[in-house]
Parts: sequence; structure tokens; C-alpha cells
Amino acid sequence: MSEPAETANQIDTKGVVVGLVGIYIAGISGIPYLAFLAGIGAIFATKMGADAVRRVCSYGIGTGVPSIGMLALGMGVIAAMFGLAIGKMYNAVFIGPIVGLVLALVIGFVVGSLTNKVIKLNIPVMERCLTEIAGAGVLVLTGFSVMVAGSMDFAVIIEKVITTGYIAPIFILGALGILHPFNANLGPDETQDRTLVHSYSCGAITMAIGGVCSIATIDPIAAILSIVIAAAIWYVNFMGFVRLVQRDAGAGYVGTGLLPPGAM
Amino acid sequence: MIDIITMLATHWISIIGIVIGGICIAVGVHFVPVGGAPAAMAQATGIGTGTVQLAAGSGLTGLLAAGYMYKTLSAAGAVGISEVILICATGAVGAMIMITTTMIVGNWVYIYGVGVPPASAKVEYDPITKNSQAPYVAPGTVGQGMPTVCFVSGTIGGLLGGLGGSLVYCMLMWVNGDPAISSIFAIGVFLVNAVLPSYNIQGTIEGFHDPKFKRVPKAIVACFIASLLCGIIAVMIPGTAMFGGI
Repeated sequence: MSEPAETANQIDTKGVVVGLVGIYIAGISGIPYLAFLAGIGAIFATKMGADAVRRVCSYGIGTGVPSIGMLALGMGVIAAMFGLAIGKMYNAVFIGPIVGLVLALVIGFVVGSLTNKVIKLNIPVMERCLTEIAGAGVLVLTGFSVMVAGSMDFAVIIEKVITTGYIAPIFILGALGILHPFNANLGPDETQDRTLVHSYSCGAITMAIGGVCSIATIDPIAAILSIVIAAAIWYVNFMGFVRLVQRDAGAGYVGTGLLPPGAM
Repeated sequence: MIDIITMLATHWISIIGIVIGGICIAVGVHFVPVGGAPAAMAQATGIGTGTVQLAAGSGLTGLLAAGYMYKTLSAAGAVGISEVILICATGAVGAMIMITTTMIVGNWVYIYGVGVPPASAKVEYDPITKNSQAPYVAPGTVGQGMPTVCFVSGTIGGLLGGLGGSLVYCMLMWVNGDPAISSIFAIGVFLVNAVLPSYNIQGTIEGFHDPKFKRVPKAIVACFIASLLCGIIAVMIPGTAMFGGI
């Protein structure tokens, strides 16, 4: 593992701030064409989760990287829905994402402490990383749910995201965005910038799928806007990822082109 | 406005149900023979994938069966304790079918595809069939495939996992009456309670005959606290009906 270019604090700050700002603009403005901002916020939250996974899994947790991504969204879904429901119950929709985030941080810290103190996994960064991962999980779920529903109102989210079943792709693709980058890049020559560029492109794929879901729930034009923006983010980051793979492969990389004509 | 304290006071029995369900899931994970990547290369006993994938697979199959049973029973009348027992039994059978199918097909692949006899390196003799294991373990490996004891253990694991998942689902249905919210929450509680024990067993376990099985009490303590936290939060979330419906 090489020296990180971005510190954990920088990534967390960006993830939380951009995530919340995106969710709030998309959720409070009520303009369907701004729904994509929640998706962009969720992409930054995905990156925050992917970096935390990278730090904790480099210790070797013994169960495979996917387990921690599923744990993130398992904790995230409970906290996110609770936050949004509290906002609805007290007629203050805008407190929803903040309550969800705070609760997720608490659950993450408790689960991290249980892992270290009771199960005795003894990974020094476990508490901090599980706290970050739970926070990322809640922001990813809230962000993509708000993007698909076009609102922060819990009743609208139940109607448009949960009852329709769109929560399932958001859940599993959101988890993939957090767990897949490190799972795909791990190894002695893993570099932080390559892993994080990969997390942007995974997040963009989730955003594009969320855009497809929102065709039926909000507005076709807003949905196409989300899909086009997500596709652009994906293209830029995936090309960047390919470049970094070539850079890290060093002299071992030889371009071979496509399959030779006889092999097709 | 719905008062949080009132909801907690009304639904305390659901919190207990969620905690019991969470502990069932945690213990169930220890019974499933998980081999991880070495098992996928027929170099370790167990199913060749991670704990979470197996637990989630069997749990979700159980949840699907339980959800269908709940729909059928609730159409006939109110869901009481006896109905909950029926729903949990359905969920347990659903999860057992999934896990046994995975194990039998996995064994076919190991026996006829890879060409190895199922054997465990953790015990000298299979505790159930009393067959000798050591001569069948390939040199340099820690067993292959699913011998009888692992198969039986995995089936018990499916039973406990499906039971726990269905119990959590039923308890949440009592609280909010909304199948969509209840199922996504049950999945959340299920994943938390499946991942914590998987850290406890450090990724691989053969079943109840494995020395690692003695670590169960630690997982029960951890999952008790985690499920209690999840349960308290989950029962405070009302369903759509409480917002006056849509």
C-alpha cells in the first residue's frame, strides 16, 4: 500500500459535505431537474466508503472484502429510513438526512467497538473505519433514494422507492460501489488514486441505474439528465482508471489491441 | 404526531423478537460450512464462497418464503403467535432448501467435476457416519467438499438463519404493517447479524465439529447488543398507514 495522496480527513469532509449539500439541494428545492445533485453527493459518499474499506481491509479481515460493504448498507438502510421517518413524524423533513447520518455514525462506532472489544479482531482502525463506512452507507442510500424520488419526504420515498422495489438495486449497487473498488484493486501494488477513481466510476454506474429508475417516478427529462451526467462521470473516471492501471502496470504493460481477426 | 416513547412502550415485545431473531441468525452462521476461496479451489472443506453471501442467500430465500406465508395467513385473519410460528417454520424450510441445494450441487461439482472425495481435515472420524477422514484428505490441503457432518451442520445453519430472518420480518410487520419497509429492514438487520459472526469465525468454518465453533458465545454477546440497537431503531419507524396512507 503506497502513501495516500488524500488523507482520510479530507475524504471524509468532502464525502459528508458534498453528500449532504447534494441531498439537500435536490430534496428541498423540489425542482425535478436538480435531482441529479443528490446522485453526485452519493458518489462522493461512495468514495468516502471505498477509502474506509481500503484502510480497514488492508489489515486482512479474513472474510473477504464484500462482507464489510454489505455491513455498511445493512447499517445504512436502518439509519437512513429512521432519519427520514423522524423528519416526517415531526413535520421537519429537512432534519431527516442529518439524523440518519448521526445515527449511522453511532451504530457504526458501536459495531466497530463490538468487533474489536467483544469479537477481538484487534484492528486498530476498525472503530473509525466502520463509523465512516456506516456514514457512507447512509449517505449513499439517502442520496440515491432522494434522486429516484425527487423528494426528501418519507411518504414519497416509501411510495416511489421502497414499495416499487427500486430500493433493491440502490441497496446492492450502492454496496458494490463501496466494496468493489478495493476488492478489484487489492494487492501489494494497490494505489489510493486508482482505487478511488474506480469508486467514482462504480458510483456513476449506480447513479445511471438510479436515473433509469427515476424515469417512472419523477420526470423523463430529469431522468435523462441524470443518466447523461452519470454516463459522462463514468466515462471520464473509467478512462482515468484505465490510464492508472497502465501506469501501475509499468513496463509490464503492452498494448495488444483487440483480438486478432482469425480468433473472432 | 406519533410519539417515539409511546411506540417504544407499545412495541417492546417486537424488540425482544428482533433480538431473538438476530441471535438465531448469529448462531446459524456458525453452523454453515464456509470454505471461502480455498474451498472454491477444492483445497478446504466447505462451500466455496464467503459467509455473508451464503447467509444472505439462505436468509433472503427464507424471507421470500416467509413473506408469501404471511400474505396467505394475513388474508385469513389477524396474525397472532400461532401464525408467527407457522411463518417462521416456512422461512426456516425455505432457507434449508436453499442451503442444501447449494451443498448437494457443490458436492456434485467436487466429486464428479474436480474428482475429490468429500473429507474433513479437522476431525479424525466423521462424528455422524464414523467414517475415517484422514486417508481421503489430499496432501497439502485441509479437506475438500462437504462430508456428511458438514451437510447436516449446514442444514441446521439454514434452519436457524431462516427462522431468525422470518422472526425479524414478522416482528417488523406487527409494528408497521408495510411489507416493503419490513423486508428491507429485515435484510438490514440480517446483514449486520451475519457479518459480525463472520468476523468471529475469521472467514472459514466447517460446522459444529470445528474447534472454531467454541467461539459462539462471543458472537451471541456482540449480536445481542447490535440487534438490540437495530431493534430499538426499527420499531420507531412507522408504516405508511400511520401517515394517513397515500
